[in-house]
Amino acid sequence: MSDLNDKPGTSIFSTTKNYLVDILSGFHSACGSFMTALPYLFGKGDLRKEVTEQYPDPISSKTADDLPPRSRGLLFNDIDRCTGCKSCQKICPTDCIQIEVDQRPDSAKVWVSVFDIDFSNCVFCGLCVEVCQPQSITHTRNYERAAYGPKELVASFGRGKITPEQKAKWAAQRERNGEEGIMSP
Amino acid sequence: MSAESLGFSPGTPEWIVSIVGLLGVYAVVIFPSVALMSWLERKLIADFQARVGPNRAGPAGFFQPIADLLKLLQKDTRYHWSWREGLWLAVHTMALYSTVAVIPLGSSLIFVNTDMSAFLPFWAALVLALGTMLLGFSQKSVNGWFGGVRVGVQALAGALPALVCMLCAGVRAGSFRWTDLASSQGGLPLGWTAFSNPFQFVAFVVFVASGLVLLSIAPTSGGLSRIDLHGGVSAELSGRRLSLFRLGRFYVFFLWSVIAVVIFLGAWILPGNLAEIISQQIGPFSLAVIELVCVLVKAYALMMGVVWLSRVVPHGRVDQITNFAWRVLSPFSLAALMGAAIWAGWRALL
Repeated sequence: MSDLNDKPGTSIFSTTKNYLVDILSGFHSACGSFMTALPYLFGKGDLRKEVTEQYPDPISSKTADDLPPRSRGLLFNDIDRCTGCKSCQKICPTDCIQIEVDQRPDSAKVWVSVFDIDFSNCVFCGLCVEVCQPQSITHTRNYERAAYGPKELVASFGRGKITPEQKAKWAAQRERNGEEGIMSP
Repeated sequence: MSAESLGFSPGTPEWIVSIVGLLGVYAVVIFPSVALMSWLERKLIADFQARVGPNRAGPAGFFQPIADLLKLLQKDTRYHWSWREGLWLAVHTMALYSTVAVIPLGSSLIFVNTDMSAFLPFWAALVLALGTMLLGFSQKSVNGWFGGVRVGVQALAGALPALVCMLCAGVRAGSFRWTDLASSQGGLPLGWTAFSNPFQFVAFVVFVASGLVLLSIAPTSGGLSRIDLHGGVSAELSGRRLSLFRLGRFYVFFLWSVIAVVIFLGAWILPGNLAEIISQQIGPFSLAVIELVCVLVKAYALMMGVVWLSRVVPHGRVDQITNFAWRVLSPFSLAALMGAAIWAGWRALL
């Protein structure tokens, strides 16, 4: 409609014809839309169809456990493999991992006393899983973690803090064995 | 309308009858229509969009409009009174109440019935468009100013085809008197002016469409666009002002539908000689009520059709709307007038 007289070289007849055809198609289109809405008055339109899907959505996940193979679920840290290197804490974009380590009496490994993941901050980006050298931190297949408060969303994987007596005892044990502590200042 | 038939004593002054009549029309026709139509509209739109719609206040949410009104009435206003707004309020209120007198609602429910009475609601619609434009200008915002300009532009664009289409109906009836326009039509759809010949049908369609343009009713609501103007002229209204504005919006829509029904869709004429039978057997008051219901039902159906259309077609930009009015509606209205005139002349010769 807008370019009625704008096209050069058109005759009055073709212009009139285009004008009428435009109006007719507009009328036709309006009538078509009018009728499209009709079934909805009787509860029958396309959008009225039930589209409830199973949870989780089986359309996108065809695996046996109904989750995509690389889905990033809640994090789990296998504390027996964890070296306490803090790579995950450093790379975490939301700073949701808190780690505290102490020296152990015998081995070169450290005593991971605190390993807390705050799932209320976690964005499940998976960076910590990628950088983890011993592959101790992994995604589980679990994705449901509703809670009544943010504090309940903190998952603790640490071995627990050691008491000062225990610390002194372990230090003495190390001296006895003649080991150089890896974390000695 | 005879005052005696409504129970006034013969010596009652004319102005008392007029005031009581106006208030009666508002109380019995306009306000219930606003409530009923806004509820129907919301339910209809909810159906189209596969939603539930209002369902809390009363059965199926029937009392939702009343709840909305009560809520709006107790809201505080956002800004202080200004003389610009006073101008809008004066024009709008005046137009709302004075134009009730020119709405024909039945053979006996006509306040003004002169040779030119069909033009009176037309001017009333223009005054209400002017009031809406002033409302836009009274807002101290870009949205309001642009909305006001758009409303004015659309009123000008829609006025010509609407006027010409009214002439088409007048050509067939031979008069612009309400009673003549009505009595020239039959009680059944084939006797209505709109379906009497193809030109009158075109005139009817163009009349309704140009009324939508003239009064900025969706889908041609460029001046009240929610998309680019956040509601345009009504962007900053709230509380009592918003309820008055909504009443005015509904009122113009209703006014236009009633005119369209009276001049094109068979008015209040009942099939056969049903009107005489009712008048003689039951009484003139029952006849007035039945005729009123007849007009209202047709007007509601027309309004529902427009609401339906406004929800399934994209709303136009203001330039598209005025373009449509000047380049499509106006030529078609003139063609319809010529055709209707020739048709009427041919019939007169035969």
